[in-house]
Amino acid sequence: MRHYEVMVILDPDLEERSVAPLIENFLAVIRNGGGKVEKVDTWGRRRLAYEIKKKPEGIYSVLDINAEPAVVKELDRQLNLNESVLRTKVLRPEMH
Amino acid sequence: MSRRVYTKTTDRRRKQRVNPLEAAGITYVDYKDTDLLRKFISDRGKIRSRRVTGVTLQQQRQLAQAIKNAREMALLPYAGR
Repeated sequence: MRHYEVMVILDPDLEERSVAPLIENFLAVIRNGGGKVEKVDTWGRRRLAYEIKKKPEGIYSVLDINAEPAVVKELDRQLNLNESVLRTKVLRPEMH
Repeated sequence: MSRRVYTKTTDRRRKQRVNPLEAAGITYVDYKDTDLLRKFISDRGKIRSRRVTGVTLQQQRQLAQAIKNAREMALLPYAGR
């Protein structure tokens, strides 16, 4: 098990109340894979430094996860397949 | 003449140089901390050199990596024009 930090930028056109269920949906991947979700920190709408897919804003969310590498890789793959996800970043904070 | 002016300014700067990261008590540079990282980029978005920032080589590397990560996530601008 390793500690990961995953940051996701979601489409700003999403409705506020549909954000949490969407993230929960993704976190099912971790839970089914035997991982643990330590913390979900949704920042909310934030201005992007530059446009991504013509959008000037994004909904930021940071996920703290303990899981096997393969499980996190699968989560990242599924995130990138979803249309409402603008960008993701997976990081292992202890490595830096 | 111009050379003398240059030495003067460096002497002055060396005296009052403090490590800005140590002063803030930061051991791990987090790419999410944009307020901190903004102090280490110019108005144009370029990463400031170590000569200017006054941090250690290891810290400068951590800073550069953090700024690049922040840029990828659109938290900081890429250096433009």
